[in-house]
Amino acid sequence: MKMADYLKDRFTEHLIYGISWVLVLIFMAAFRISFQATVIISLLLLLAVIIADAWGYFRKKSYYDKLRYCLDELDKKYLLSEMVENPDFLDGRIFYETMQETNKSMCEHIAEYRRENKEFQEYIELWVHEIKLPVASLQLMCHNDGNAKYAEQLKRIDDYIENVLYYARSGNAEKDYIIKPVSLKRTFADIAVKNREELQERNIALRTENLDVNIMTDGKWLSFILGQLMGNSMKYKASEISVTADNLPDRIVLYFRDNGIGIPEHDMPYIFDKSFTGENGRTHKKSTGMGLYIVKKLCDKLGHGVSAQSVQGEFTEIVITFGKNDIHNVR
Amino acid sequence: MKKIMIIEDEKALRDELSVLLKNAGYEPIAVTNYDNVSEQMKNVNADLILLDINLPNVNGETLLQDFRKQSGTPVIMLTSRITEIDEVLSMSYGADDYITKPYNPTILLLRISAVLKRSEKVGTMQKYNDVEFSTVKGSLIRNGSEQILTKNEMIIFQLLLDRRGEIVTRDDLMTALWDNDEFVNDNALSVNISRLRGKLAELRLPKAIETRKKQGYVLK
Repeated sequence: MKMADYLKDRFTEHLIYGISWVLVLIFMAAFRISFQATVIISLLLLLAVIIADAWGYFRKKSYYDKLRYCLDELDKKYLLSEMVENPDFLDGRIFYETMQETNKSMCEHIAEYRRENKEFQEYIELWVHEIKLPVASLQLMCHNDGNAKYAEQLKRIDDYIENVLYYARSGNAEKDYIIKPVSLKRTFADIAVKNREELQERNIALRTENLDVNIMTDGKWLSFILGQLMGNSMKYKASEISVTADNLPDRIVLYFRDNGIGIPEHDMPYIFDKSFTGENGRTHKKSTGMGLYIVKKLCDKLGHGVSAQSVQGEFTEIVITFGKNDIHNVR
Repeated sequence: MKKIMIIEDEKALRDELSVLLKNAGYEPIAVTNYDNVSEQMKNVNADLILLDINLPNVNGETLLQDFRKQSGTPVIMLTSRITEIDEVLSMSYGADDYITKPYNPTILLLRISAVLKRSEKVGTMQKYNDVEFSTVKGSLIRNGSEQILTKNEMIIFQLLLDRRGEIVTRDDLMTALWDNDEFVNDNALSVNISRLRGKLAELRLPKAIETRKKQGYVLK
């Protein structure tokens, strides 16, 4: 808060003081009060105004400067009302109380949404849990009746269900995963078996290297992530998928590479964005723009790094970095 | 015949599981009354139990915890709860495996036979007629002559041996191979089978593996 701004703000008061002073001068002249007395009274009045202004200014300055400082330093600005104290001047107090009140109302409002969001997520979890039963029954029926035709469609249904589940989970603020050593080899084999029919139908070869490592992650989330990447490779015309792990002293890096159609350079910065389908999504079939977005969100939550490289017409490579001891990065 | 108890409250799923197990040569026993599941688990004396987590009035994990105090019978949890937390909990309560729905039927059968084998403590030496099948050495031995098998051939022979006398489809063989990180294609499978046949022929068993057209293979 600057002095000039403060004075400008109090312009009307000063104008009234000025007019009052002129009136006093006129009265004093009318009552023939001596010039010296007039000067002394004027100086006393001026001094009183200066002292009052200075006191008022510093009192507010110290308060508002602190407020400003807190606001600048705060990471979450809405916590401001928790940080500042109740000031000792009236307008400040009114303002402070208003702020407390609105903040409280906002908190309640957000809590309401959070609760609704949580309920919705719980419902999705429950729903997924329920719908898996008929899907599982149908899958067994297909197998028992030797009817492979329906199995493919069932797998698609199951994949879409998983997408919804993990989308709901990725947006959830709560911790519903656990980090423990997970065998990369086992997880990848499970995903490969799950997608075997489609991979063989499309004549896609799988190559793996150095997957015999344990990584610190949530097994179920990892298998969803690998499933998404494999789905993308199949969708975008790969004939070979190669999965390699690099075991470094502080981290394990997973390279998931395919020789599919690749991603145009101008689309690369956006591939992890929500609902981004890009050129490939437009020219090829069915892309929701959700797969990589969910992958990225899950990786962020688990504290894994994820990035991509691609040359159009040659390859696409998704790189995931698993820390060996980065529990503290988990969000 | 191995008795497998199915504790699953979804009727359609339970019935199909029974069919699947029956077709695979097991004797399924399905629980239909959920008032005293705990008692039934103890009384049936099954070789293996398939246990759902969400049951009417009772939680599968609690049942398992209770059951484990008295019995070491292998238990595989079947569940549609897809969280790592449930899996870790189940395993810590003494489950032998944990499979989420929907499951690949072939994988389910593979897991069942793996768990059964572990619980019977089947040694590393198995017999096919007068042939010794050593999983440690990875070889077939008959009358002192030995044939070394590759990993793929071992997986194939093991599955055929487990289901001896039954038709094993190419799909089943393929699933078993992929489940063991051998991501082979159709041609490679044919090559592996003909090599395995060749090795059996060396042991003077040229007709051990029979081809059933459009169905699969049978180990006689």
